Amino acid sequence: MRRLPVLFVAALAAAGLAGAQDTAPAHPLNVQASLVAETEGVQPGDTVTVALRFQIREHWHTYWINPGDSGEATTLDWTLPEGVTAGPLQFPYPQRIQVGPLVNFGFSDTVLHLTDIKVPDNATVGQSIPLKAHAVWLVCDDICVPEEASVSLDLPVVAAPPPPNPSAAAEFAAARAALPMPSPWPASFAVQDGKVTLALKAPELAAAGLESAVLFPVKGGFIKNAAPQAVETTGDGLTIATETGRRLSTPEKAQAVDAIDAVMVVTGKDGQTKAFELKATPGPAVASGGDGDTLSVWTALGFAFLGGLILNLMPCVFPVLSMKALALAKKGGGATSAARAGGFAYTAGVVLSFLALGGVLIAIRGAGEAVGWGFQLQSPVIVAALALVFFAIGLNLMGVFEVGTNLQNLGNTTGKSDGLSGSFLTGVLAAVVAAPCTAPFMGGAIFTALTQPIPVALAIFGALGLGMAAPYLALTLSPGLVRRLPKPGLWMERLKQVLAFPMFGSTAWLVWVLSLMAGPQALALSLAALIVTAFGLWLWGIAQRGEGGWLARGTAIVAALAVIAALVVVPGMTASTAVAAAETSGPKSEPYSPARLDALLKEGKPVFVNLTAAWCVTCLVNEEVALSSSSLASAFEKAGIVYLKGDWTNRDADISKLLEQHGRAGVPLYLFYKPGQTAPAILPQLLTEGIVLDAIGAPSSPSS
Amino acid sequence: MNRFINALFVASALAFPAFAAPIVGEAAPAFTGTDADGQTVNLSDYAGKTVVLEWTNEGCPYVKKHYGSGNMQKTQAAAEADGAVWLTIISSAEGKQGYATGEHAKAVAAAAKATPSDIILDPKGEIGRAYEAQTTPHMFVIDGSGKLVYAGGIDDKPTADPADIATANNLVLAALDDLKNGRPVATPESEPYGCSVKY
Repeated sequence: MRRLPVLFVAALAAAGLAGAQDTAPAHPLNVQASLVAETEGVQPGDTVTVALRFQIREHWHTYWINPGDSGEATTLDWTLPEGVTAGPLQFPYPQRIQVGPLVNFGFSDTVLHLTDIKVPDNATVGQSIPLKAHAVWLVCDDICVPEEASVSLDLPVVAAPPPPNPSAAAEFAAARAALPMPSPWPASFAVQDGKVTLALKAPELAAAGLESAVLFPVKGGFIKNAAPQAVETTGDGLTIATETGRRLSTPEKAQAVDAIDAVMVVTGKDGQTKAFELKATPGPAVASGGDGDTLSVWTALGFAFLGGLILNLMPCVFPVLSMKALALAKKGGGATSAARAGGFAYTAGVVLSFLALGGVLIAIRGAGEAVGWGFQLQSPVIVAALALVFFAIGLNLMGVFEVGTNLQNLGNTTGKSDGLSGSFLTGVLAAVVAAPCTAPFMGGAIFTALTQPIPVALAIFGALGLGMAAPYLALTLSPGLVRRLPKPGLWMERLKQVLAFPMFGSTAWLVWVLSLMAGPQALALSLAALIVTAFGLWLWGIAQRGEGGWLARGTAIVAALAVIAALVVVPGMTASTAVAAAETSGPKSEPYSPARLDALLKEGKPVFVNLTAAWCVTCLVNEEVALSSSSLASAFEKAGIVYLKGDWTNRDADISKLLEQHGRAGVPLYLFYKPGQTAPAILPQLLTEGIVLDAIGAPSSPSS
Repeated sequence: MNRFINALFVASALAFPAFAAPIVGEAAPAFTGTDADGQTVNLSDYAGKTVVLEWTNEGCPYVKKHYGSGNMQKTQAAAEADGAVWLTIISSAEGKQGYATGEHAKAVAAAAKATPSDIILDPKGEIGRAYEAQTTPHMFVIDGSGKLVYAGGIDDKPTADPADIATANNLVLAALDDLKNGRPVATPESEPYGCSVKY
């Protein structure tokens, strides 16, 4: 019984709200609607354009013809004197508006819907024509409110051609520019494997260079509104690929669709945006070689394999491979069966490590953690340990000590029976050190892998590993190739020593990374650990040659314990502030935070976002090559661009989230938000200053 | 290399949603949820029966259109009279419009004289995402064999104006009628309309 009053009130409220449409609104509307004429009057028999002008409350939006995942298009009902006729309500091109996992198509701030009004020949000059209309619209931010208003305008009938309405001229010009124009180019669409690819045969557009292209079907159900749209320029136009909506969800349904009407909004490299109305008919999605648009599992596997191959050339992998080649050369190509077995063991090591890493990543991802590739280098203790390992290998290559038994197999197998496990371990090492290099190159593929069912995901990781192991495997499998390797000799000793330097280079780089992650204390500690390591290994080398006896051995063991102690201390340290911003003359940056970005976007400021990490070589190269000149700084300043830098050196959930939003599992990621837009342009992963200047719409200097 | 990276990006973009979209004519996504009384509800509990899923948000004007006019309740009563199960689902996240505790959800239903077979609370939006529920209302009809036979709006007049109900074609009732008479559903899909689901 106690619940009764509550129910009563609720019922009253429901009844009151349901009837709200029939009464005057109690609260001010979220949209200020008005009618505005383009000219100050109209001549008899002439046509005048009138705008339904919406001033929309901040953060709220109204809807396009196709509202997207939810919402309702604005309508306007005219009440006109006899003889006066109104054309259809015209919609400028819309914007994508993200609402949680859904995407709407609509308008914010100010929008003008144009209508052509024709007055009769017998209209009397000197009188006014009363234009009356009733507008109904839905306006939403987090919640939705249906609103309506009666709007009117008295239009003077004049004898001479009327002058333009001065207060509205700029808005009318902008509204006309935002109206889609009929596309001069033919369009086609193709559906395959849940993806629809729309191709526009527009060589002029492709030649001019595209910044972005967005597709808005006029009717709902053709595309999945919230799915990303992948744009690619081809030789004679462009394609947009995205996921199918319900109308195209099966081959039978897709067959039955004979045309898709859509508006395509294209922004050129010159920063100009135009909208085109097109009717896409079934046809080949791509005129020439566009397999990249519908990337099947097999293609993804192929790319993963190719990516693995490329990894061999990475600075953090090549030394390992070189050492393997060195070991082969030492054998002079004689023991091919042993070499073959070693090759397979190495392959198994690489592939299993990649599978294990993939498995861990999938497991962690499944647990809902925001992790990305390269995460093992986000732990200071791993970085420190890797630095020590590289340093020790370098010392070994220099001949400070010899590795007679187990440790030798890490880098230098000889094809003896125990060489198999050594080859396997080398494979493991290669895979572990490859991880930071894979992040920039394989981010997309890994993300693909992580969103696939687990078997496919693991297959992609496996293909990555196979690709990485392939060159060495080929070397061991084809006796011809092995025989072509140079004969052993003194050069090998020299080469071995030379190979120590990339190892020291890697050590230096890792120590630098560590200093950014864990601060100067950790830097001092790791440098001390390096010296202790050197000292210990030197003693070990003496003992190996039978010169030092138990004293040397004992000291070496103490040194080893000291190094381990150092490693235990490192994780306790954290960097004070680990922004990898060395002093440059480039644009001044602020640290990235979602709140700061939101605030700037709400202010309508242009924002450039750079997501980087100290261990990401590509990021650092880009920053050096493209983001550190004073001319870029002045271009940023001139355009009022705020430069936000996100440092992912240590794991950062906010940055992981932003990466994921843009389909990346790792850094770098460069985003540019134009003033007043919330959907950024994504810049390439390999930057030049010209690309950045183009993206921000500044003229690129001929010298860059 | 650029093309390679582009292709990878395309791959990642295309692979974005990992879940399978519900397809009309195929098996409806299975789900387990918690109802307004805290009981666990499985779609499979209703195997053999026709099931209607209704996404709702008491604050949404489009929901008010159909409840304020009695249209939703009428549709509900007609469905249940024919032995169908009616599950009202609330996917509004906590703090968003339409979020409801079990008590509140039952009070709202009672105030509206609604008679759903059960009310499922889905504040994490798991069921909503599995069905790709876009709007409130968004309606689904599942036949006795577990096949999704209708997905879309409650009718074909996508407005917030209750006056339009009189002239609209109630697509849920039409689908249920087709099912009852052993006919294939004439209009198995339509564009859902309303407020966005407040995930």
